[in-house]
Amino acid sequence: MKSVWKTLGIVFGILTGLYIVLFLVFWFDLDGKALFYGVEPFLKNHYDKMKRKDPLDVEYRTDTENYEY
Amino acid sequence: MTKPNKTGKTLLTRTKKLASDFWNGKPHEERRLGDLYIDKTGLYKHREWRGVKDTMYYFNNIWLYNYAHMIGDMVKYSGPKGPMLFLKGVWRYRWLGQTYLPVMHWFDRGLEGMRGEGLRASAWHYRAMVSETIRQFMRMLEADQKTGGSKEIYDKTIAHDETVWGGIFYPWRDRMDDVPLQMIPYFVTCHVNNHVVLNYIDAAQSIGLPGDPCPMCQAEAGIFLQDDVPEYYPIVITSNEACDGSVGTSVLQDWMMNRPLFAMPQPMQFDDPLVQEHCAREIEECWKFIEEQTGEPFSWNELKKHLEQQNQLQEFEWEKWEVAANTDYYPINGVAQALYRIYQSQDGDREIWHEVDARVKKILEKCVEKKINSFPKTRHRMIAWSCAPLYYSHWCTWAYNCWGLNCIINMDSLMFNMTIRTDSYENTLQDMALYHEWAPMRRMAVGGMHHIFELWEYMEKFHCDMVMMYDQLQCKGMQGVHGLFEDEFRARNIHAIWMPHALPDKRTVSRSEIRGIINDYMTTIMHEEPLDPTLLEFDDSEGW
Repeated sequence: MKSVWKTLGIVFGILTGLYIVLFLVFWFDLDGKALFYGVEPFLKNHYDKMKRKDPLDVEYRTDTENYEY
Repeated sequence: MTKPNKTGKTLLTRTKKLASDFWNGKPHEERRLGDLYIDKTGLYKHREWRGVKDTMYYFNNIWLYNYAHMIGDMVKYSGPKGPMLFLKGVWRYRWLGQTYLPVMHWFDRGLEGMRGEGLRASAWHYRAMVSETIRQFMRMLEADQKTGGSKEIYDKTIAHDETVWGGIFYPWRDRMDDVPLQMIPYFVTCHVNNHVVLNYIDAAQSIGLPGDPCPMCQAEAGIFLQDDVPEYYPIVITSNEACDGSVGTSVLQDWMMNRPLFAMPQPMQFDDPLVQEHCAREIEECWKFIEEQTGEPFSWNELKKHLEQQNQLQEFEWEKWEVAANTDYYPINGVAQALYRIYQSQDGDREIWHEVDARVKKILEKCVEKKINSFPKTRHRMIAWSCAPLYYSHWCTWAYNCWGLNCIINMDSLMFNMTIRTDSYENTLQDMALYHEWAPMRRMAVGGMHHIFELWEYMEKFHCDMVMMYDQLQCKGMQGVHGLFEDEFRARNIHAIWMPHALPDKRTVSRSEIRGIINDYMTTIMHEEPLDPTLLEFDDSEGW
């Protein structure tokens, strides 16, 4: 029985700790700061380097079906 | 009793004040919200203390709840593979990665300074928009042939321009789904992260197109030119996006899409009965096109079911307008009202709108019953008219916090002011044609003089004493009536603030310049003092 209480206590302690950490992330806008200074520049760099299809190489077809009913 | 300090307050009084500020949050005039910003970034040194109850509500029921549901929704809409699918999408598409990660900051900007029931009701609107957005992009990603999506789902997904109303596809909702092409990659991204769209505007100009057409048209073309649209659809239904600049966009999109396309433009003079007839027949032709292309038959029962459900949404919207127009107890702020309404009315019947409306209805009824005023510092009731700056849709939150300008209603909310009859096929078709014709940018903005001048009628109905007149500098249609509005404002002795902007492009008129224009009007014309002077000037030029 004691070990059950002990396990519950540990789980409760971890959850409380996690809750406090999340509140600190929220309060100091750490999510925003991490995204602004870390994630977004990294992703932006990735998107800027990405190879893309040249639109001017795409043929503009005018022989497609005319849908009239 | 302790001795009074320099301000004449005793220790006890100061302690009581500190305790009250901690428990209830500071009174509006003492909040100094502008001091919370980190210069240029729009980030917060720390988030706002709204009192114990509202801060904990924001943390638990908005911040934590929405982060958790953003992941939960991916699983809800796409199963356990949802989060992985999302990450693949983030890696492939700029509009997804740069926009949907900082979404909680979008909440922060729109809900700044809000308390109590107003905070709750407005946040629910945001929650619905996020959920519906996730549903749409998850469907795109599930079907996306560029990132290894399912061919089976691809075959059962129809794409359409964002101003083709989702209701057109109700007859197939039980077997197929429809996802607008630009609603998420363009429209929603501008609100959440205003940097993203600039890449697409520049992409359009990079192939030699002129820079002076509407930047919305440019951006929507640019997404295709950048090859940034998921390949999730075998057929597409387009419109003229109810703005004739967009016709050029459609040509570019057709070039890039290269697949069966049915064009269903919204006519200019929609009051003409012959035009109405033409539009009704065009909807029928569109249905035939879908049947022919997909092999799936039209279902009257599905259409009727969803139209009736959509009518329920409209009826609740009318209840909201009634409270907004005639009482001080409307708990929804200007940005939540505007974005939710245009999104929902264009998107059509979806489960999330009903869920959220049920929650908001309870809050609305509570506010009316207990006479709760969510905007007690209102000095002026504003109506916002014409098309809004997408990169600064939350200007109304700022304007209330800084000046007590309460944006009660806006033009886009009022566009689809109708329910649709379902008593006979012909009546349904006629009403659907009208709804389709009343598209964004057509219903009032470029729908004819007497429609754009419905402003006066709605101003009276909603008991507004000021107008925020949006001035889309690159909209040739609205620029044509600028002088007429000036004359009318003078003749009717109406206080109107012209807000210049370039729809999605913050480089033409920045948020800071917009605030400066409002500040100038409020000081030089209205001779008023700001409620929160820290909000008068700040630099958020690099902010999302």
